[in-house]
Amino acid sequence: MDADDNAFSELIQDYIVECLPLAEQVGDAFVELERRWRDEDEGADLLEPLRGRLHTLKGNSAMMGLAPAQAVAHALEDVCALLRAEPARRSDEVAALLVGGSGLLIDLVRSAANGSKPEAAAEFVEQVRSLLDASPSASPRRRRGDRRVAERRGDAADSSSSVVRVDFRRLDAMLEVLGEGMIEQEAVAELYRRLPRKVRATDELSDLDRGLLALRKTLKRLEGILMETRLLPISSVFGRFPRLVRDLAQAENKPVRVVTAGGEIPLDKAILDRIGEPLMHLLTNAVVHGIESPEERARAQKPAEGTIDLRATSESGRVVIRITDDGGGLDDAKILAKARALGLESRAADPEQLRSLIFLPGFSTAEEVSALAGRGVGLDVVAHAIHELGGTIEVESRLGRGTSFTLNLPLTLAILRSLIVEVDRERYAVPISHVAATVRVEPDTMHEMNRKGVALWRGDLIHVCDGGTLLGTGVAPNGSRRFYIVISMGNRRRGILVDRLIGHQDIVVKSLDATVGRPDVVSGTTILGDGKVACILDAVRILDQRMSA
Amino acid sequence: MSGPPGQGADSLLRFADELERQAPATEALRPSPELHLVTFALDREEFGIPIEQVREVIRVGEITRVPQARPHVRGVTNLRGRVLAVVEIRTRMGLPAAEITPRSRVVVVGVHDRILGILVDGVSQVVKVPTETVAPAPEEVLSPGTDYITGVARWNSRLIMLLDLEKVLLLPD
Repeated sequence: MDADDNAFSELIQDYIVECLPLAEQVGDAFVELERRWRDEDEGADLLEPLRGRLHTLKGNSAMMGLAPAQAVAHALEDVCALLRAEPARRSDEVAALLVGGSGLLIDLVRSAANGSKPEAAAEFVEQVRSLLDASPSASPRRRRGDRRVAERRGDAADSSSSVVRVDFRRLDAMLEVLGEGMIEQEAVAELYRRLPRKVRATDELSDLDRGLLALRKTLKRLEGILMETRLLPISSVFGRFPRLVRDLAQAENKPVRVVTAGGEIPLDKAILDRIGEPLMHLLTNAVVHGIESPEERARAQKPAEGTIDLRATSESGRVVIRITDDGGGLDDAKILAKARALGLESRAADPEQLRSLIFLPGFSTAEEVSALAGRGVGLDVVAHAIHELGGTIEVESRLGRGTSFTLNLPLTLAILRSLIVEVDRERYAVPISHVAATVRVEPDTMHEMNRKGVALWRGDLIHVCDGGTLLGTGVAPNGSRRFYIVISMGNRRRGILVDRLIGHQDIVVKSLDATVGRPDVVSGTTILGDGKVACILDAVRILDQRMSA
Repeated sequence: MSGPPGQGADSLLRFADELERQAPATEALRPSPELHLVTFALDREEFGIPIEQVREVIRVGEITRVPQARPHVRGVTNLRGRVLAVVEIRTRMGLPAAEITPRSRVVVVGVHDRILGILVDGVSQVVKVPTETVAPAPEEVLSPGTDYITGVARWNSRLIMLLDLEKVLLLPD
């Protein structure tokens, strides 16, 4: 089975988990409806919620390509509509048909992973069709229907027993406790390392060392499994975009289609919950400002219908989402004019840098303010949201050909692989994703330019600032710091002088209480192996700043 | 200093828990004839906060400074796996920053939904103060921005200044 098949079978599992309870509720409701009818109650209050559930079942089944389930749900929905319009059509025969049909639906949902039964579904749809035309008749078969639903439900419980629904907060709590366990393991290992070498070398204690190593590996495995349970396919976010874009495109009088790919790529639910809005913002921009009007497209000899390509790919432990439209592209001249107006042209040395200015607050090139993509909530909000997730955003564009936004996101928010460094006896965690290199300071490699530190790194001059100045512990005398780390994001780089490199560690991220404020240089905190709290450096915001340090 | 049965932070904590359990029932019976306070020292003065707002009193562990934190934030500390912000209440009240001594404590308080620590020079005790001993602070000594002192209890020849934690912890930027 290849990766796509795997992903698809996961989607099917999701479908079953979501739809089986719905189908069972439908079955229960039809049984209840039958009971009410016997008591001469038309049960009108049951019909509306039934139609809603059936509608959902129909839609979800269609999305998974499960035509028989879709057809059965549709037929049942039609009968409900008929009964609402003509309550007098109720009869024992209709009741039996409904109960039987819901049983069939439960069956189809339950066996969604094992292929369909088109014959039974077709037969049922045929029965419904003849009922919708036929006149009422009485043939009491309700007992049989009752039993069928009951039997089916027993089976269903069996097949879904391999899937458990868990509140996401409990997964969070588990991860938190596991994080504490890992810290405690580190703490014991640290105590062991502090033992005098002679004591450490005794047989019993070298066993302890092995035991600690084994425990560490086991905890890491547990962490891996737990992280996997937090992952959901990205399609859970992508799925709603085609419809939203269609509605928006209609309002704009532009035919636009959305093509998605890579929906099976898994991502931490905590991230999925927070990328929907920025992605929708980018899609809205693409429809409103990117794709040209049909007339303009005709002049440019492009197909009348615009295309927005939304795809996710997995790249070395991170997820890349790319939104590409075949619209007009960014107008560099307009961006430059705006940059001049804002006094930012010095930051636009090349087209790439110029285009990256659109992520700054107050920047928007659209001449008209549209109701949906107004200037007030521009790309700076999107960029900020992505940066807060530990991600990056970049733009590429060709005038007349289209624009492409590339979002690079971590797989998870909960655990951050970090480099621990020390500055003036304070330890800081720096997310590895933003560390390009660690460099030992050699004599005469650090220079000063306009009273700012610079160093030659991989053939480029980069700004290297003092860690103490950055973090508020004061400037160190020249040459007293032995290392610098290079943090990077896109084409931006900066060196930070530090005293010591302590090592790599997976850290559990703890948010910073709002009472502390919102420092520019710190994104959160973590608890290190010795139980002490360390701050996590906010590499993205440090790179965003133009600091005099 | 006289104290409740037993001394030290742990027994104090237990005593505080005990009182906290009793507090709601007592209040329901008669409308607060007494104030239940946890008192602590700041620069030789004694302050009191309602016991319901105190979750525990801990010894001062390592407090990590946070760069660019707001004023009056001493830093963050590890409270059993939870990162607790510690407020420097002394500078908030215009006093010099605290020096940590063996008597220093962090009073862990719950205000609204937030849990914060306040760094104090020493916790003295849990007291029940009759409400009739509480008077407003003399207006002449209060300056703008000191409205977090809601009153003064004169009790057993002691002066206990009552703090409105919400106002103290609503930190100005």
